[in-house]
Amino acid sequence: MTIDFIFRVLFDFGLAFVVGFCWGMLFGSPTRVLWIAGLLGGLGHSLRFVLLASGTGLITATLIGSVSIGLIGIYCAHKAHHPPVVFTMPACITLIPGLYAYRTMLGCIKLTDPATVQHNPAIIGQIGYNLMLTMSLLFTLAIGISIAALLFRSKSVRDINFGKKREVESV
Amino acid sequence: MPTTSTIPSEYIHATEFADLALDIATTMLASGAHCGRITRNLNRLAKPWNLEIQMQLTFIGVVMTVTSEFDPQHTVTRYRNTPPHSVHLELLTEFSRMTWKAADGDLTFQEVVQETERIKKISHYNYWAVAVAVGISCACLCALAGGSFTDAMVACVAAFTGSIVRVFILRNKFNPMISFVIASFVTTLITGANMIYGWGAAPETALATAVLYLVPGVPLINSLIDLIEGYLSSAWNRALFGASILLCIAVGMTLSIALLGINNF
Repeated sequence: MTIDFIFRVLFDFGLAFVVGFCWGMLFGSPTRVLWIAGLLGGLGHSLRFVLLASGTGLITATLIGSVSIGLIGIYCAHKAHHPPVVFTMPACITLIPGLYAYRTMLGCIKLTDPATVQHNPAIIGQIGYNLMLTMSLLFTLAIGISIAALLFRSKSVRDINFGKKREVESV
Repeated sequence: MPTTSTIPSEYIHATEFADLALDIATTMLASGAHCGRITRNLNRLAKPWNLEIQMQLTFIGVVMTVTSEFDPQHTVTRYRNTPPHSVHLELLTEFSRMTWKAADGDLTFQEVVQETERIKKISHYNYWAVAVAVGISCACLCALAGGSFTDAMVACVAAFTGSIVRVFILRNKFNPMISFVIASFVTTLITGANMIYGWGAAPETALATAVLYLVPGVPLINSLIDLIEGYLSSAWNRALFGASILLCIAVGMTLSIALLGINNF
């Protein structure tokens, strides 16, 4: 845990903060909660960065990052009085697997040329690897955003209480 | 929780309510709400007037039956198409707040109608501001993917230009799918030049991240949420919509890459 490592995590956090903030603008989130979107995005992405640096697999690290975005988003929804999707959606976009999707697509274009396939048959394996990685990462993002629907029994986020025993009839 | 004991003195005809509820449902669908959210919000809204709602939500339209709890004979079924889809999350907040207020008995029916009209008129961010934001965020994504400063700048310019081009095409009422093809074509042309002339250290990252602003994140994620919550027809519609946009992005990139020469990539 050197100073250099902490600095890199902070750099990662800063970049992901800007991504979350700007993506909030693209999705038309209310101006007052754009910074929450940025904060959640930075948190999720830097958490993934730390996990990756400590040797966790990419998919597991992304799942942990997006689920923590989803859970902290519920808490923020209570504090800011906004539905959580307004900030969890832009925040999870920071974890989007753009490079793998691009490699899949480029591989598919190269597959149309018979000479390339003959010289380098390993390309099919690479496409399969990149495609499965892209799809798994997208699934983990969706799990993070819909974590409230998956884990809690109440239908509205407003009725979710952390740490309190809830009465069943209020569902 | 709302109390149903405070019944408002006003009596609302099911037809009147169906028109309002369809308005809200189609607007919410178009601005990127998943079906569970729409169902919850509208049931909350119907409660104070002792009405019951049954809905079939698809991506392109809503069928709705409104029944009075007092008089089951008093039933109406209506259908309405959704307006063109454009993600606008602020509307979801506003509708959610309005329905909670109405459920607490703080709004009359006329006030709800006026509030709906006001919410529908809320404008999106200015498209120049969105284009700048898109450019900056694509630059940051490029840096996160391991690109150098030059790569990030190229990604920024490419995403900004593509975003403006797309708005321009949509303004001229072309097919939305064509707008995705052309925007990704223009963006990839700029980042592809970076690849050919070798300005940055890792040009591949700029190519991959500059088109991310076109990715239909909201429809794809909503599709999975709908799948989890059991709204199957809507889930498939959204998945198909998202997948066709992804295909359009790939087509635009392919055209651009083919133009610049596939062997350079």
